[in-house]
Amino acid sequence: MHDHRTICERILRLAGRCPAEVIITSTDSALTRFAGNVISQNVSNTATEISVRLTDKGRVTRFTLNQPSETALKMGFSRALETLRTQKKNPRLMPLSKPVPVKKTKKLFFPGTAELPPAERAARAGILIKKCKKAGATAYGTYENGAAAITVANTYGVRAFHKESYAIYSVTVRDGNGSGWAESPASDAREIDFDRVDRTAMEKALLSRNPRSVKPGRYTVILEPAAAADLVLFMGIYGFAAQFYQEGQSFVTGKLGEKVVSEKITIEDNALDGLSAGMPFDYEGMPRRKVTLIETGVARALVHDRKTAALAGRTTTGHALPVPNTYGPIPANLALLKGGSSMEEMIKSTKKGILVTNFHYTNLLKPLTVKMTGMTRDGTFMIENGRVAYPIKNLRFTESAVEAFNRVEAVGDKPQAYISWGRVSAPALKIRNFNFSSSTEF
Amino acid sequence: MFTFANKAIEIADKHKADFGDIRIIEARRQTLSVKQGEIGALNDTVTLGFGVRILFDGAWGFASSDLMTAGEIERVTKFALNIAKASATLKNKKVRLAHEPAYRDFWQTPFITDPFAVAIEKKLDMLFAIDKVLRKDAKIKSAVSSMDFIREHQWHMTTEGSRIEQVLLSSGAGYVCHAVDKGEAQTRSYPSTHGGQTLSMGYELIESLDLPGNAERVRGEAVALLTAPACPRGRKDLIIYGNQLALQIHESVGHACELDRVLGYEESYAGSSFATTEKLGDFRYGSPIVNLVADATLPGGLATAGYDDDAVKAQRWHIVKEGVLSGYMTNREFAGRINKDRSWGSCRADGHNNIPITRICNLSLMPGSVSEEDLIKDTKDGVIMENNRSWSIDQKRLNFQFGCEIGWLVKNGKKTKMIKNPTYQGITPEFWNSCDAIANENSWRLWGVANCGKGQPTQTAMMCHGNSPSRFRKVKIGVTA
Repeated sequence: MHDHRTICERILRLAGRCPAEVIITSTDSALTRFAGNVISQNVSNTATEISVRLTDKGRVTRFTLNQPSETALKMGFSRALETLRTQKKNPRLMPLSKPVPVKKTKKLFFPGTAELPPAERAARAGILIKKCKKAGATAYGTYENGAAAITVANTYGVRAFHKESYAIYSVTVRDGNGSGWAESPASDAREIDFDRVDRTAMEKALLSRNPRSVKPGRYTVILEPAAAADLVLFMGIYGFAAQFYQEGQSFVTGKLGEKVVSEKITIEDNALDGLSAGMPFDYEGMPRRKVTLIETGVARALVHDRKTAALAGRTTTGHALPVPNTYGPIPANLALLKGGSSMEEMIKSTKKGILVTNFHYTNLLKPLTVKMTGMTRDGTFMIENGRVAYPIKNLRFTESAVEAFNRVEAVGDKPQAYISWGRVSAPALKIRNFNFSSSTEF
Repeated sequence: MFTFANKAIEIADKHKADFGDIRIIEARRQTLSVKQGEIGALNDTVTLGFGVRILFDGAWGFASSDLMTAGEIERVTKFALNIAKASATLKNKKVRLAHEPAYRDFWQTPFITDPFAVAIEKKLDMLFAIDKVLRKDAKIKSAVSSMDFIREHQWHMTTEGSRIEQVLLSSGAGYVCHAVDKGEAQTRSYPSTHGGQTLSMGYELIESLDLPGNAERVRGEAVALLTAPACPRGRKDLIIYGNQLALQIHESVGHACELDRVLGYEESYAGSSFATTEKLGDFRYGSPIVNLVADATLPGGLATAGYDDDAVKAQRWHIVKEGVLSGYMTNREFAGRINKDRSWGSCRADGHNNIPITRICNLSLMPGSVSEEDLIKDTKDGVIMENNRSWSIDQKRLNFQFGCEIGWLVKNGKKTKMIKNPTYQGITPEFWNSCDAIANENSWRLWGVANCGKGQPTQTAMMCHGNSPSRFRKVKIGVTA
């Protein structure tokens, strides 16, 4: 990895009197992919991205490069300064940020995880493949690891640095016409319970063989954590990002302080602690604050960057993407807080319902109700009289997440974390009258 | 650059790799956008790096870096070799690549005006002018107009003797506005959704789109949609236009016919496919008028190049011929699995830092015989849908649901009322078999998909889907929660 500090200081010196911001991201990433009980792909990448924002009295531009050579930097500055020179002034353009102390997040960097060798990833895949071959099943999946370091610095003294490692073990097992899935991400690979992941995916694959067709319609559903996390992600992004709110495109526009979903629901954005912890500052170097978006069903607060915060007369919560952008601030560390129900209790209390392992290809239909569609995947089961009765063919849901979150009957007691658009964690959810609009053939 | 690249080839040869290649890529991307009267993005990105692929003992390894030194090339090539050795510990049989001659060639995207030579000031002026028109109605709460230009200079060298230099260029532009009023939000964009229209052309594309000239209509339609009646529910004849039909082709044929996916290599992520290999040459994918052609030589196509990233020369082939499944998107690794001795050449990588994988080529629905006017005249009770708004399809590419920005009812051969929130659902073969009319070549045009995601790590690729408005009988429309 390049030395971030040296590059930043060099760029800020080159910028001279022109206020400048530098974002440097370095990643070392590796991934072993397996399919059909063999390794199908095995890759490694080292990359650095240096992005420079220049501002000048109401004018702004950015240049990005991955070669910190003198020639490359001079070319970048030359083009950027020419762009600034010809640009019309924008009196509304905000100046670069001033430094604000950043709180430390929990420990997220583990060298052993960052440097896992390909042989170790292959060995892990081999253990699952051996189990699957013995069971007459087929293994698919990935074991990936790496590290990312980011620095945000600017002319006015902002200096923020963060480094984290990651490992994600994700497994799909096919057993005849059955399919099962399980995944576990961690900052420290030693925390991954590989055997549990293997066992879960293999059991689901076995149990989901020979699925029956069921009629689409409204059912009580028990969404396992991965499926619940998908809904939380859409609720968070389309509900609580301040720009959507200010444009009137959020379901909580004008409803802060009001009950918007079931009182069983509390959702936070928290980069500093918990399962969704991550980078403790945003892309302007501002500290990320813990924001409670929904507290026992009541819409409480939004995530802001400096621009939306200024419009709302508030201070930023530290959720900026690289500026300028058209998206506004985004919650990137979402967490649906746990409730008190175990998965077993949820199933036991269900007379007739559907157990969903995961969703596939979810997408937004209407922002104001967070109406979504998507398919079930890798283990969908009918629950009858308090027990998992039989596997069923996959179904398409077409449902408003807001309405669904108003029909929550129970929240699980074991949240799990996933890495998606940022990080998101959620426990299982039991929801009544969940709408399935059609079915598929498997 | 080839001198630099040769170091990797020498190391691969020295270690007796079955195959090795190196791609050095220098890319420049310029992104501009305007939102609500302010610059939303103005970024000029230049990257340089290389990726080395090694096939050793019948197994793959890939490593990449952006440190451009001889020492780093040596480190990365040896690392790719070590990764291949780790892969070889878990293989059933050795990977063998379909034969392809060695090429020494230069190829570049034809263009008239280099978009990077056009002043940023001129581009911003156009975007600000569009933005001003879009925001003239107070109900428009958000408007974004944008342009995007990419030039990728590639040097590709293989242990088989290929030395291929290519310069690929794409230009794109478009805008979107969101109208909000009384608990309703509607979206309208031009020329298409998801960033606008992108093609392998120069700045002449931007000038041909008449972006400012359509802004007022687009704004008006976004506002009118707020009070338009909702899409009816039930089964109706569906006429799909342009950008939406492109996505329909993309999701239900393009991805379904990627051979790696068909063989299960994407199972753990995006899924597999119903279009399995025993169906090749036999399976009725669509009605007899449905001809879907993959073409890496198509002028303007985003997947058009001289060679793919397996160093295979560009080709044109049928995926669906007269309604029958006739081909797949292939790479050299999997072509043999369908008894082909040569790949069709649809293997591409996203930049220098990703391994080449099987991708959708330009895939187009060939024009039919009726005029667009006659297509509507001949429809008694139907709906027209245009511009994609949402998309979702199951992991075997069977059950899909699409939502569009706008629709119109067709009654007794006439396009009538505008409708909001149009959606439709279907099962892929049933849907394509219900296609009974395709408009002729006068209405046929290319639509770019500039953001196709696939693979782990996720890679983005670009391709085009040419089509003309087409009719599908008795499709389930108006899906509600």
